[in-house]
Amino acid sequence: MDRRSSVKVPDGKLVEVAVSGTDRIESARITGDFFLEPPEARAELEAAIEGHSFEVDRETLVASIESVDARLIGFDHDHLAEATLEAIE
Amino acid sequence: MNLRVVDSGRYSEPVQQALERVLTDRLVAGEIEPTLRFWYRDGPAVPLGRFQAYADEVATDYVEEHDVEVVRRITGGGAMYVEPGAVITYSLYLPRETVSDDVEASYAELDQFTLDALRDLGLAVRHEPLNDIAHPEGKIGGAAQLRTDDAVLHHTTMSYELDIAEMLRVLRIGEQKVSDKAIKSAEKRVARISDHIDADRSEVVDAMIDAAADRYDVFEGELSEQVLTEARTLADEQFGTDEWNRQL
Repeated sequence: MDRRSSVKVPDGKLVEVAVSGTDRIESARITGDFFLEPPEARAELEAAIEGHSFEVDRETLVASIESVDARLIGFDHDHLAEATLEAIE
Repeated sequence: MNLRVVDSGRYSEPVQQALERVLTDRLVAGEIEPTLRFWYRDGPAVPLGRFQAYADEVATDYVEEHDVEVVRRITGGGAMYVEPGAVITYSLYLPRETVSDDVEASYAELDQFTLDALRDLGLAVRHEPLNDIAHPEGKIGGAAQLRTDDAVLHHTTMSYELDIAEMLRVLRIGEQKVSDKAIKSAEKRVARISDHIDADRSEVVDAMIDAAADRYDVFEGELSEQVLTEARTLADEQFGTDEWNRQL
């Protein structure tokens, strides 16, 4: 994982996204002190981020993340997209 | 609602964290009553949040040299440093339908008996969203939850008289240099119960049980041998392994 970025949500939690790849997100890792239900959805959220080009726009990324059936607590889909976009910037 | 109170038993951190899984699953299976459990640990430890990266949170060399056990929880949230007798940790295992669906509201509700107890003892505490117990001088403690279809696990750890300087050596927040400035800064963020009220740790726990009795029909209980055996097995197979604890 050679690119990392984190977002500290105001009054919320820290979410960090680490990605690897050259012009496309080959793999992604989401970590932080957030809450997520079910916990197993973390892998699905990572899969939703993987595969996108480094040129991906925010809307597309948010839509991918929102397609995962999970409850994000202390952060939301936008924060995850924001950290991802900063990591690949 | 009947609430069994378990205020006994000293276990390693892997067994403690394994008990969270076992007791939550047993509640869902209808094999145990709703329970409030107080924790007694046998050594210094770091309960790590489910989604946290091990190397980001813990001073890895220091914890290995000083036998601080780092164990990943099944709940989200952040890493803490804990020492026997210096913290108060408790867990609630409750049927899902007895807990608010609104997560933020549920944190406040489930820690309310604790706030009541601490206020009765003279401590100015309040719930601070999402999951903190706060004092004007800093954070007293924090909670984390796991929700299944049928149960809610809610556990909270508070500082009774935690060694803040040691916490800074163990957690990565203080790794760069444990300077006086870093300690002063952390002291501002961490408030300790014993600094503000003249009550033993056990008196605080007793006050909490009394406060719980205002809300629930409490009765004393113990963990069964079957539960403990299952937790010890799970500690060996999962919660005590690098595979689980260092997965991230």
